[in-house]
Amino acid sequence: MISEVIKQEIIAIVGPDNVLDSELNRFGYSYDSSFVPLLPKNNPDLVVRPLTTDEVSRVMVVACAHEIPVTPRGAGSGRTGGSIPQKGGISLCLDRMTQIVELDLRNMMVTAEAGVRTIDLYNHCAEKGLFFPPDPASWKFSTIGGNVAENAGGMRAVKYGVTKNYVMGLEVVLADGAILKTGGKAIKNVTGYDLTSLFTGSEGTLGVVTQALFRLIPMPKRRGTLQVMFRTLDDGCRTVHTVLQAGVLPAAAEIMDRTCLEVVARHRKTEIDPEVGASVIIEIDGEDDAALETQTKRIEAAAKECGAIAFRAARSQQEAEELWAVRRGISSAVAALAPNRIGEDISVPRDAFPEVVRRIGEISKKHGLPIAVYGHAGDGNIHPSILCDLAKPGEEERVHHAVDDIFAAALDVGGTLSGEHGIGITKRPYIAGALGEIGIRTLKAVKAALDPKGILNPGKIW
Amino acid sequence: MDKMKNDDLLREAGKMVSRCDRCGACLPVCPLFGVKGIEATSARGKNTIARALASGVLEPTEETLGVVNFCLLCRACVDTCPAQIPTDEAMVEVRQHLTDLAGGAEAKYRLVGGVLKRPGVVKAAAAALSILRRSGLNSLFPHGMAPEEYTRSHFLAAFAGPAALGQKAPPSAVTVTDKTKVAYFRGCGMEMMFPEAAAQTRDILRTTTRLLTKENVCCGLPHLAHGLRDEFLDLARQNIRLFDEADVVVSDCASCGATLKHLTSFFADDPAWRDQAAVFSGKVMDLTEYLAKVGYLPRQKTDAVFTYHDPCHLVRGQGITKPPRELLKAAGSFVEMKDADVCCGGAGSFHIDYPDAAEQILEKKRRNIEKTGATVVVTDCPGCLIQLAKAAKASGGKFKAMHISQVI
Repeated sequence: MISEVIKQEIIAIVGPDNVLDSELNRFGYSYDSSFVPLLPKNNPDLVVRPLTTDEVSRVMVVACAHEIPVTPRGAGSGRTGGSIPQKGGISLCLDRMTQIVELDLRNMMVTAEAGVRTIDLYNHCAEKGLFFPPDPASWKFSTIGGNVAENAGGMRAVKYGVTKNYVMGLEVVLADGAILKTGGKAIKNVTGYDLTSLFTGSEGTLGVVTQALFRLIPMPKRRGTLQVMFRTLDDGCRTVHTVLQAGVLPAAAEIMDRTCLEVVARHRKTEIDPEVGASVIIEIDGEDDAALETQTKRIEAAAKECGAIAFRAARSQQEAEELWAVRRGISSAVAALAPNRIGEDISVPRDAFPEVVRRIGEISKKHGLPIAVYGHAGDGNIHPSILCDLAKPGEEERVHHAVDDIFAAALDVGGTLSGEHGIGITKRPYIAGALGEIGIRTLKAVKAALDPKGILNPGKIW
Repeated sequence: MDKMKNDDLLREAGKMVSRCDRCGACLPVCPLFGVKGIEATSARGKNTIARALASGVLEPTEETLGVVNFCLLCRACVDTCPAQIPTDEAMVEVRQHLTDLAGGAEAKYRLVGGVLKRPGVVKAAAAALSILRRSGLNSLFPHGMAPEEYTRSHFLAAFAGPAALGQKAPPSAVTVTDKTKVAYFRGCGMEMMFPEAAAQTRDILRTTTRLLTKENVCCGLPHLAHGLRDEFLDLARQNIRLFDEADVVVSDCASCGATLKHLTSFFADDPAWRDQAAVFSGKVMDLTEYLAKVGYLPRQKTDAVFTYHDPCHLVRGQGITKPPRELLKAAGSFVEMKDADVCCGGAGSFHIDYPDAAEQILEKKRRNIEKTGATVVVTDCPGCLIQLAKAAKASGGKFKAMHISQVI
């Protein structure tokens, strides 16, 4: 519990409207987009919504003095419980910090506050012909601070990488309230430890990211979208592999199985060919139409070779956008198929992708649980979704074993637990298996050095 | 209502929202989250509260009713939701549940509900509002419930200048057989707030058919929205009976139209009324939908520049966007505004209950209207028109707000 005196101190910093403590308002900040149950409740004692880095810093000074847990939060769109205030205390919600501080055209860099929505940053840069590539499926509502804290990926990772590939510098409020600035606009920079990389993907456990400096690249002049249908997931996986081996690098290559296609069809009130068992959506980009055409031809040839049964190129911008909107909504649409959905985020070396997808199919059969499969075929990051009803007797146990098997399969082919969602709460039980004892010990040493009182986002990662 | 039936409401709401995976896609489109920024004001926040109530994680309190009432029922979230969770329907169920639990609707909703239940009283209220308007006592009336009406004759006087000459739209090519019995549904809002526009609707309809007019009762939406479900069902039965002889029932109010079109689902479990309700809902048409169907062309073409505000209950309630725009293009020139389909903040009595939030939402709407340079913002719903009239006033005369019947 936070005493009235401390509450008043915090109100004096951010103003009374930006401190919420009613039962329902606290409940509103007790969950995110993960499958962490609502019970037992994870209500924070206080929701605090600062507007400036200075306010964040002063709140942290108070929290540090009284050893109050602080869990940073953006839009609450994370998939692993990273922003859930599991130990109570303060939910530090940064969604009022929405300034795009500077777009530096000469250096092709942009500085934004933590609460800026990903798509707003993208559009702001796009207006000037610059491209901010990281595009998590949630980009219309996720915020930059969360993207950095989770090192978010996205569809375009296959060609353009993930968030960390664009972070040049950060402004971070440390556990004691000190304001740290890392990195900068110099492209080459080896002065001291690479703290920028350390905080990127640290899930709010090492500091509160309040501002980020990103590098940008020129916006591709032309974009095209291709949709290919296959009889089996395996044919789809092989196609993507063949395309990559042939030296064609699509901006995105997304695969989805029959279950996903059916959800989409239901929403659009259309029917899908009973023969179709999987679909791959590909984005290509380039300098001009000729560049797109060359890629399209090579991809089409590879697809045919691997048994594609239908191939189409989106004819309009609108059609392309619709295809991608469907892909971005898949996760939530699939979640609605069953009372519970346990979504995973394993990531494997690119050449192991077809193998791990096959193994997921076997795991589904072995445990008698439907597992919908979709993911980033181009970069090896896949999201198996176990569709289940945890209220059924014995179901939880079976789901547990299936998850164990999925992780085992990922690690076995040289992959890892999480590609882009982070560890948070939901993958915590498995991290020792992935990192080993020395790995965990090193994480803990870093944590102890930066947050000796353990107040920042406690209870996460390990 | 007995406890079991009451628990059913909550269970039903729980079922609707159980498919929400809390992704957050609704956050940027929820107009209330847009002005408040607090989770419990968003669709995701309210769905999660409903889920928590249904599963016993949360106990209902006074705060709960406040949170579920703070919803425009605009369906912007439903439209954007990858799982199409019907937040609005869930909120209506939860409101009813909490209302029953508290032993009945709040006094003000009972009062409004009571007034709207009797047609005679609706007329009296309309007369009272008209006196208020004429006596200039508008400002005494809370939050603009008595908007300044800008009539069709004002409109023609302003826009029928020389530039309009020779630009008259060709005569309407409507052919409606004598057998088609077309009736007009008198909406309370139109009758009380915009009687001149309602009269224009009837005039337009009469150019296309021999119009049936009925002393219908309220569509029941205000009752449904505020925990008076039994009254809502009772009104629905009266209207179904009343329009038995009509083949088509035309509404010039988006909210009435949407409510009447959806009656089927409320009687799905009632064998005595199920079929009649389905037949009735099938007859209902929005004014612009009907006019498009019969090929109506506006009575004049002026040099007015229109923009159009999509009422939630038309765009998301009935999927109608094209007919009103086509009509406006034929009646003048048309400019599309940004976020035309975002709620104006009116939402029934929401703007009276939560004037500050409604005003903040309206402020965004006003800026979008002004950016088009249009001289008239047109809509198809008295609830929206109240809001837009306020926006017109706030714009200092940059534009007028009118019902579509007044300009076509």
